[in-house]
Amino acid sequence: MTDKLAELERQCARRIAELAGLKELEQLRLDMLGKKGELTTLLKSLGSASPEERPALGRLVNSARENIEKMLEAAKAGIQTRETADRLSAERIDVTKPGKAPQFGAKHPMTTVLDSLKDIFVGMGYSIAEGPEIETPYYNFDSLNISATHPARSEQDTFYFANGDSLRTSTSPMQVHIMEAGQLPVRAICPGRVYRRDEVDATHAPVFHQLEGIVVDKGVTMGDLKGTLELFAKELFGSGTKVRFRPHYFPFTEPSAEMDVSCFVCGGQGCRVCKHEGFIEILGCGMIHPRVLEMSGIDPVVYSGFAFGMGLERISMQRFGISDLRLLHENDVRFLKQF
Amino acid sequence: MNVPMTWLSDFVDISGIEMRRFTDVMTAAGTKVEGVHTVGALLRNIVVGKVVSARPHPGSGKLRVCQVDVGAGQLLSIVAGAANVMPGDYVPVALDGACIADGKEIRTGDIRGEASQGMMCSVEELGFTRFDYPESPENGIYVFEAQHPLGADAIEILKMRADVVEYEITSNRTDCFSVVGIAREAAAAFEREFTLPKPALREEGGADASAEISVEIHNQEGCPRYVARVVTDVKIGPSPLWLRNRLTMAGLRPINNIVDITNYVNLELGQPLHAFDIDCVAQRRIIVRSAADGEQFVTLDGAERVLDASMLVIADPEKALAIAGIMGGENSKIGDGAQTVLFESACFDGPMIRAASAKLGMRTEASSKFEKGLDPNLTLAAIERAAELVEKLGCGKVLRGAVDVYPNVRVEKTVSYDAGRVSGIINAEFTHAQIEAYLARLGITAKDGAARIPTFRQDISIEADIAEEVARLFGYDNIPTARGTGAPTSIMAGKKTAKQVCEDDIRHKLVSFGLYEALTFSFESPRVFDSLRIPEGDALRNAIKIRNPLGEEYSIMRTQTIGGMLRSLSLNYNRRNPRAWLFELGKLYTPRTDGGGLAVETEVLTIGMYGGGADFFAAKGIAEAIINTVTDTDIDTAADSGLCFLHPGRAARLWVNSGADQAGIVGEVHPDVAAAYDIGERVYVAALNLSKLFDMPRPVKAYRPLPKFPGISRDIAVVLADTVEVAQMRRVIVAAAGQYLEGAELFDVYTGEQVGKGFVSAAFRLDFRAKERTMVDAEVDAAVSAVVESLGGTFGAKLR
Repeated sequence: MTDKLAELERQCARRIAELAGLKELEQLRLDMLGKKGELTTLLKSLGSASPEERPALGRLVNSARENIEKMLEAAKAGIQTRETADRLSAERIDVTKPGKAPQFGAKHPMTTVLDSLKDIFVGMGYSIAEGPEIETPYYNFDSLNISATHPARSEQDTFYFANGDSLRTSTSPMQVHIMEAGQLPVRAICPGRVYRRDEVDATHAPVFHQLEGIVVDKGVTMGDLKGTLELFAKELFGSGTKVRFRPHYFPFTEPSAEMDVSCFVCGGQGCRVCKHEGFIEILGCGMIHPRVLEMSGIDPVVYSGFAFGMGLERISMQRFGISDLRLLHENDVRFLKQF
Repeated sequence: MNVPMTWLSDFVDISGIEMRRFTDVMTAAGTKVEGVHTVGALLRNIVVGKVVSARPHPGSGKLRVCQVDVGAGQLLSIVAGAANVMPGDYVPVALDGACIADGKEIRTGDIRGEASQGMMCSVEELGFTRFDYPESPENGIYVFEAQHPLGADAIEILKMRADVVEYEITSNRTDCFSVVGIAREAAAAFEREFTLPKPALREEGGADASAEISVEIHNQEGCPRYVARVVTDVKIGPSPLWLRNRLTMAGLRPINNIVDITNYVNLELGQPLHAFDIDCVAQRRIIVRSAADGEQFVTLDGAERVLDASMLVIADPEKALAIAGIMGGENSKIGDGAQTVLFESACFDGPMIRAASAKLGMRTEASSKFEKGLDPNLTLAAIERAAELVEKLGCGKVLRGAVDVYPNVRVEKTVSYDAGRVSGIINAEFTHAQIEAYLARLGITAKDGAARIPTFRQDISIEADIAEEVARLFGYDNIPTARGTGAPTSIMAGKKTAKQVCEDDIRHKLVSFGLYEALTFSFESPRVFDSLRIPEGDALRNAIKIRNPLGEEYSIMRTQTIGGMLRSLSLNYNRRNPRAWLFELGKLYTPRTDGGGLAVETEVLTIGMYGGGADFFAAKGIAEAIINTVTDTDIDTAADSGLCFLHPGRAARLWVNSGADQAGIVGEVHPDVAAAYDIGERVYVAALNLSKLFDMPRPVKAYRPLPKFPGISRDIAVVLADTVEVAQMRRVIVAAAGQYLEGAELFDVYTGEQVGKGFVSAAFRLDFRAKERTMVDAEVDAAVSAVVESLGGTFGAKLR
């Protein structure tokens, strides 16, 4: 009996060594331990042994069963490991093949620039105001202290409608709408489309965008104007940016100024981009003219304020190095993809 | 405004100031320098030489070989093409290594076998013309009129080298459109003395001007002042080099001494002058009057002009002689034979000149000054200066006195200011004494808050103007910066409105859906309506017209945004971009009839796409997602074959709030429309009325508990007539399925042989769930049966 059991174990070990997979392993288990398996058959034959021999023989058979079960279990684990390894190996991919690019679009570069301007001013406590593009002569000109004979009113420069209204030539009428609303103090920016009778070319378009800013409060000074716009310039163009304020003239501000920033190409040394001036003109600004405050129902003795306005196309073109304004209106996806 | 530095220094001492500093300080003080160019900057190594001999070139009949003495001991041999130089002539010689105007370097070389050690120059080769140097021959080498030292710098002698500064003058500073005005600013900026010499006249003409001529002003509003002087024994000829040079550098062409003097004074003082040949003035009577309607007049450029009563003319009793402030007439122009000349120095009403100049389409040197409004007190100084130049140039005899008609003398006005408020505007403390000192530098006398403003400074009228004058001389860059908040108690939250946040959200979503943002013009061409198949009489054709458009293409305000979108897609298609998915957030403009203004400006989201798998449902899906970004609403799609620019079978309106509001449209573009825009692919568009959607409440984000009990799902497929819309099926399903239906999703549609012609198989997944318990199969089975029965009863649908 001992020999038979030993032979059975050896036989099992031999067959394990030759196993191909889990199916064969199951067959082996059935052959050994199944109802008609060899060990079961041996166990049944114990019935013919004497009662004295039976306990010892029983222990022998059980021990052999345990050994075989262990062997089968170990074999199973081995096969599983091997099969997993084989599968993983078969599943190898060329990881250097290109990734699947997700399809996404892009905001227009003008929006990108406008968003950064909005962020800067919102961060400085400004709200964003919106208003009409078609204005009456009062809002487009009169309320801004632009005289009845000012050339900006000419049919050469401004688009008119039959009733005398016009497309706004700047975002400045928004100053007046904001002041007329009478919520003081006020700090707001107003971006939007503006219109001038310029033929389309590399630097002009009859439709373009401006951003207006207005602050009205008690005790606002030119120092506040400078502090605000200097901070804005450093935020937009980088902390190393130098600014320069030059006296200028606008009918709706007094004193008036233009702000230049140090050229972001040459850093102020002078180059082709800044026409060797070292500075690039960015915006017009000034203290709101007392007559403009008055016309909008604000007492210039009590309140003062400043306003500024800038062209967004110019800033976008400089920021992204776009050389031709027409690209901004063509909407060629090969262009739009770049931003 | 171009001003040679040498001319400026007639009125202010600017010696010892480096050019870079000069331009920086001028710019900082408000007279912006646009650029500096040095006339003749390239010219080098060009000296005076004397032609000693000239012989024919042995190899060419057209060339000559000259021996030229440049004072170097040895004669130079120079081959020349021009035939005008003779032995004994003094000429400018470009030596070996010289540089001429076009940047070309002159080298010793060999011309057809003869050595040539330099070049004799024409004025053209030195960058000038015969207008500048009328004594120079046509197509020939310049010959000096005097014998200059040999080897001397010819460019210096010809005064061809000078720094010219270009200034940007703002429109309010009419006084600065002149050399004297800029000199006054330079003096103020550098705290140097400004001197305007008083003209000294000999008046050798004998008679009084007032005995020779008379002046009447019939329109005083149009002409506040008219001053005239008379010059006899006029000798027309070229002006001297210094004067011609200054005109050229300032950008004007020298013509003859009399005309040059008027231009010179205009540049120097900013007062346009005009000269008439007095023999052309009938009765020697000058009358300033309004033109007659339809009056015809030939200006000195030879063009025939038709005038009207809003324009002003200078006339004699018989005829007009000039359009006041704009251009003289051919009938009185200074010809070479002019003997007696009347100089006019007048002041005209700016707006009147501007209007006339615009009407006539004539913008001249004179009109561009007059239209800004000039100081009538400038006229006399200008005519005195002109008379002085006549005497200096020796081109005539000036009669005694000027005829000056000036009924209402303009006097200095006083502007009062408060030193504290001026300081407050600027953010720096100024005492009265300091303010007075700044103003004094500008020629403004001020004392204790009252400033007397010279009449040439018409731009100063209020306290804020005084503040600007002080601030710019103090230096804008010296103003201490502040924190930009005004009153220290003004704490304000900066933020975007809910609508603005939503707009950002819309853009982010569209970008993540694969769309690119486009920008198109707000203008349209009236032809867009035909391109879009919009029928006659349709409301969309009712567009606001621009009175003065830049051409038909941009002549109306758009009443729809599809046209602009299709133009952009067309550009992409024709540039062979395989996929273009675009969106635009912009306005459309519709006429307003309620009297509240000209137009209603409506914000619209426009989507346009072709290629990259675009189809109707992609466009619709995007539109629906955006609607639900703006507001929480159910969305109903209603087919509409009447949307003229869309495919009649693939067009829909999108309704929200249970059909109460129309949010927009979506569809495939009609093939005829696509063809009109030259797009050879199927194109899909959607347009949403954002203005309307923004009026609805923004979606509220709030947590809803996750379901605690499992749901049960059933799939059903029914066969029914293919005319039944999915939306109709859904409505029936939702109505029949009972309260536990959680969702009914269409997951398959089949048409084909198996269901037969005219039929469709639609498969829905029905999800059921009870909130408080686990449902049992029986109740779901009952609900499904009810659905199938209802579909059967309503549409004759059969379970497949």
